[in-house]
Amino acid sequence: MTGGGRQAELRLGLRSFGPRDLLVMAIVNRTPDSFFRPGDTWDEQAAMDRVHQVIAEGADIVDVGGVPAAPGQDVDVAEEIRRTAGFIAAVRAAYPEVIISSDTWRHEVARETCAAGADLINDSWGGWDPGLGPVAAEFGAGLVCSHAGGQAPRTRPHRVSYPDVMADVLAGTQRLAERAVADGVDPARIVIDAAHDFGKNTWHSLEITRRLDEMTATGWPVLVSLSNKDFVGETLGLPVTERLTGTLAVTAICAWQGARIFRAHAVAATRQVLDMVGAIRGDRPPALAVRALA
Amino acid sequence: MIAVAALCPAPPLLVPELTGAEAALPDVREACLAAAGELTAAEPDAVAVLGTGGQARRWDPGSGLNLAAFTAGRRPRPAVGEPNLPAALGVGAWLLTAAGYRGTRVLQSVGSDEPAAACAGVGAALAAAPGRLALLVMADGSARRTLRAPGYLDPRAEAFDAATERAVRSGRLDALLAVDRALAAELMAHGVPALQAMAGALAGRQVRAQIRYCGAPLGVGYLVASLRVGGAGLP
Repeated sequence: MTGGGRQAELRLGLRSFGPRDLLVMAIVNRTPDSFFRPGDTWDEQAAMDRVHQVIAEGADIVDVGGVPAAPGQDVDVAEEIRRTAGFIAAVRAAYPEVIISSDTWRHEVARETCAAGADLINDSWGGWDPGLGPVAAEFGAGLVCSHAGGQAPRTRPHRVSYPDVMADVLAGTQRLAERAVADGVDPARIVIDAAHDFGKNTWHSLEITRRLDEMTATGWPVLVSLSNKDFVGETLGLPVTERLTGTLAVTAICAWQGARIFRAHAVAATRQVLDMVGAIRGDRPPALAVRALA
Repeated sequence: MIAVAALCPAPPLLVPELTGAEAALPDVREACLAAAGELTAAEPDAVAVLGTGGQARRWDPGSGLNLAAFTAGRRPRPAVGEPNLPAALGVGAWLLTAAGYRGTRVLQSVGSDEPAAACAGVGAALAAAPGRLALLVMADGSARRTLRAPGYLDPRAEAFDAATERAVRSGRLDALLAVDRALAAELMAHGVPALQAMAGALAGRQVRAQIRYCGAPLGVGYLVASLRVGGAGLP
């Protein structure tokens, strides 16, 4: 395994994780129009059923979001809160110890979702709202510091170019992580994310995957959000419904390079990949090894 | 004096090295190569490439598109000349080379924030150069034509691009100088300053256009046209 040499303890909610632990963050969309299986968990009961399922499948973190990343129908602060805060409170009531993540870039939303029980604020939009850090600090929550290439929330990249995309990712995420520390966020609860496809074309996303060890070498815990994304689709020439295999390949490559949190739709499959990588690294034993041993 | 002109969009995906194993939009690329080929066939003394960039200036004529900026570590071809060449000019330079042009080049950017009169002035200054000049204008329409567009759908985008097409098709390029620049910015129509420079370069000339392609297959307006330029005439 490469990278991850200086990784420290990661604290999320009531739990603490060592550098070799690999965590699955299950996506639960409270939206009618996300790109993968739109509307699947728009109904609150369907969303809670998915929470039951992903926890049974081995999810460590449940990531609840109320606004799709793509542009589309406007979702204002009040509506985003309506979609997520009450639901997070219900998840917290059902699972007092599960780690709950709130997928939002808005501090007003984060304030409500943290009050409802969220442990982590997952901001995919590169700290667009500087009010997020102070909210995380106030509630003792964690914060994901991502690289969106300066893109405004819910905008698509258009002919983006970088002299060196990984250098930009490293500088951007570390600057945000340091800002979060200055805001008073517990350094053990800060995570960085290269944000595949956010402000990046497919070549850029492939590059940051290939060079992910440069991110893990910073010592900050690295989250990757790869699931069914367009860079997988463009690389393999496959529509959104047929990207699981490609997603899992990227998952393994990122795990090998020291990423620690994997945001995913397919929890059971992702868990299997991470368990396999963990076994190859020697961090976890095989479930049962009897072959040629009897 | 401008002897002949062509209008092409400037998406980086015209360059095959950027799109992977498969060619993207081969029909758009073919139309652009045909339009650029017509410039080359006219055997001009020089080809001037016009495109929107940070500011109005001439660039090292040996410069090419910095592919590494789009492909990260793959670097299929090293950048030559000035690495910060605006992408529109870089795609234009690529197009000329792909069309087989080996002669003198001028790479001229127009500032994205320059008013219409200033853009027209840049074009007029280009046209005033001695010799027979061919003009290759690299300009895109709105990037908000469809739900899947880079800028998402803006319902005004289609009519906006249609007005550009009408102006080009009819040869009445002066209409381009009256384009609402605030609206153009909202619609992510980054090519408008270059279109206005084109109008300045061809002011008072007779223009007969052949539209080679018009569409927005990926949500960005692409217009490819060959412009045959006659003497002074049109009011």
